[in-house]
Amino acid sequence: MNGAYSGWLIGAALVLALVSLITTVRNRPMGPVLLAGLGLLELAVLAQAGFALAGLGNVAEKATFIGYLAGTVVIPPAAIWWGRAERTRWGPAVIVVAAFSVAVMTGRLLQLWSAGA
Amino acid sequence: MSVHSGGGEAVRSGPGRVLVAVYGVFALAATSRAAVQIATRFAEAPLAYVLSAFAGVVYIVLTVALARGARRVAVAACLVELAGVLVVGTLSLADPAAFPRATVWSGFGSGYLFVPLVLPVIGILWLLRGVRRA
Repeated sequence: MNGAYSGWLIGAALVLALVSLITTVRNRPMGPVLLAGLGLLELAVLAQAGFALAGLGNVAEKATFIGYLAGTVVIPPAAIWWGRAERTRWGPAVIVVAAFSVAVMTGRLLQLWSAGA
Repeated sequence: MSVHSGGGEAVRSGPGRVLVAVYGVFALAATSRAAVQIATRFAEAPLAYVLSAFAGVVYIVLTVALARGARRVAVAACLVELAGVLVVGTLSLADPAAFPRATVWSGFGSGYLFVPLVLPVIGILWLLRGVRRA
């Protein structure tokens, strides 16, 4: 796992959360920008999961680490599904929660990673 | 699930979806964390880990109840959650020795941005607001 990459990923997830929050405040449903953002976030967490699993030997808390990895990979598709189902401002509100969760989980992954190294 | 009368849709749509999402994340996080703790080092802090598992179960019940619009179950689970966070939060501060390892509810959920303390209050307000409207 690469600290700089994951740092950028946390930043990107927080930006996505902010854009979703603005969409919620503006009372709009999920549009193409949020959809693309979630798609890119999913690609980014999949790449991160690849790096992380490749270096799993360095991590002491393997079960917890894999749990957080699985969480980050599952959340963006769930948010896309939700954003399509709820065509009001509350779709993007769910995406705020989802993107923020990915940021927090990536932060926990970094902690576990550096604790084991 | 017995309660599907009238207000089910009002509970789970709109802002209710945000509650389901937050509770879903907490259900996932608390349950898997407790599972790992109990499986790998239960002897270190049995009470804390059992409480973590209990919190995880409460969050799962809440996620499902909110998602299905089962209002009565959801309100009951919110009250259990609120009682849990208040009791465990108080005990963890009053008698830290009994809680050598943190639970989700330790220090009133301070390790989770106090979300565990605020969430049941918001949940109950949301569920009761739905009752009045329906």
